[in-house]
Amino acid sequence: MGKQEKEKNRTVKTMTDVVMEARNVYKTYGKLEAVKGVSLQIRKGDIKLIFGPSGSGKSTFLRCLAMLTMPDKGEVYLGEQCLTKPGVDLNKARARIGFVFQHIYLFRHLTALGNVELALREVLKLSKQEARERALAALKEVKVADCINRYPAQMSGGQAQRVGIARAIARNPDIILLDEPTSALDPELTGEVIDSLRDLAKEGTTMLIVSHEMPFAREVAEEMIFYDEGAIVETGIPSHFFNSPNSDRAKKFMNRIINRTTRE
Amino acid sequence: MDVWQELIFLLGGVPLTLSISIIAFLVGIIIGLPLAFIRVYETEISFIVDAYEKIFRGIPEIVLMLMFFFGLGLYFPFPFNNAFFVAAFVLGLRSGANQSQIYRGAIRGVGDEQMVAGQSVGFSKWRAIWHIMFPQVLTFSTPGLGSEYALLIKDSSYVWVIGGLAEIMTRSVWLKNVPPYDVITPYVFAAILYIALTFPLAFWLDKWGNRRKKKIGL
Repeated sequence: MGKQEKEKNRTVKTMTDVVMEARNVYKTYGKLEAVKGVSLQIRKGDIKLIFGPSGSGKSTFLRCLAMLTMPDKGEVYLGEQCLTKPGVDLNKARARIGFVFQHIYLFRHLTALGNVELALREVLKLSKQEARERALAALKEVKVADCINRYPAQMSGGQAQRVGIARAIARNPDIILLDEPTSALDPELTGEVIDSLRDLAKEGTTMLIVSHEMPFAREVAEEMIFYDEGAIVETGIPSHFFNSPNSDRAKKFMNRIINRTTRE
Repeated sequence: MDVWQELIFLLGGVPLTLSISIIAFLVGIIIGLPLAFIRVYETEISFIVDAYEKIFRGIPEIVLMLMFFFGLGLYFPFPFNNAFFVAAFVLGLRSGANQSQIYRGAIRGVGDEQMVAGQSVGFSKWRAIWHIMFPQVLTFSTPGLGSEYALLIKDSSYVWVIGGLAEIMTRSVWLKNVPPYDVITPYVFAAILYIALTFPLAFWLDKWGNRRKKKIGL
């Protein structure tokens, strides 16, 4: 998708396109305020990227969106459905959300194929054959078709994370949340994971990514969100952050990151 | 009786010793696994598990057996007048308490992340336990389960106190009481038999567990 086309798409989006929304979400761990009243809207086809210092609560916020961590306050919407209301079937909701973890967390007792197939069989209740076909397609999409019979311990970090992505996309979720998908990998392995994400972006997959992969962000993100101390400090298109962020904190952070990237 | 006849007589007790222990082991799995998961994941009612473990780990097996067989047996002849039932049941109750602790350690070892990953693909807590935690917990538990099985083989000898079950221990006591009133060889043979029964399975479990663990990188 070209930049112009992207712009055009954005203008035709309406409120009904909202896939996920956070309204004033709070989460506190003891004295640590990880999420302090964060609001965010993601529409169909959006690719947004959250970045900011480590320990600032980005991951917690992402987990709150998937209701893997229960927010203390505020609302989370998946489409029209409010997930933070009592009595909502969260398992059904989570089945519609793909989640990719920083530390991958593949099911260790299952092969790559088993990891992707399990939820298709047991959550979506697909037939054996259909589940297999969809799992294989997902694994193929992230280019790990050659290690479908390997256990997580027998894969490289890059392969494992791509299987993790396959596990998230195989269910055709409404949105995929990615929590620093490359930061636990060796630098030489991040490329292959980024390539897979780039492919997903091309297909118009709705994604919210926590990441510090700046070249990638520049290429695919429609919006970047600078997150610090439990709150969104500043948002904007990538060039805004690369050229002249408003806040000092964002400026400092971008400087550090860009320096690091060029050193590498 | 010469020593070989004694040995053959004792060997006759092996099936009973094995069946008491194995049934108790299975009862222990059925009790221990849910208890362990309740203890970890249902914190509101985990005090029940705590109480259960304290009671059945605290009371000597021999006391439990006498209580169940003679005490409960007095009021509920069925099933408590059946020595085999009482033996397997009491040891199973005790083993459930032990196994609950073994599995709990294993659940911690498998790690909460696996649970979160399971929930992230749409599983409920208990379905994630079944599909994701349970298979890994079993692998993680093998060393503990090996020694628990060995413990059960040995503790099955307590059924001698309620009598009527011709397992290895009871037979060796009988041998001592018949001519030539040999008080050494029957016990030595019994000791050898108990070692022979405990060692191979515990060894095999450990080996199987290590192989599995290597495969799944634990």
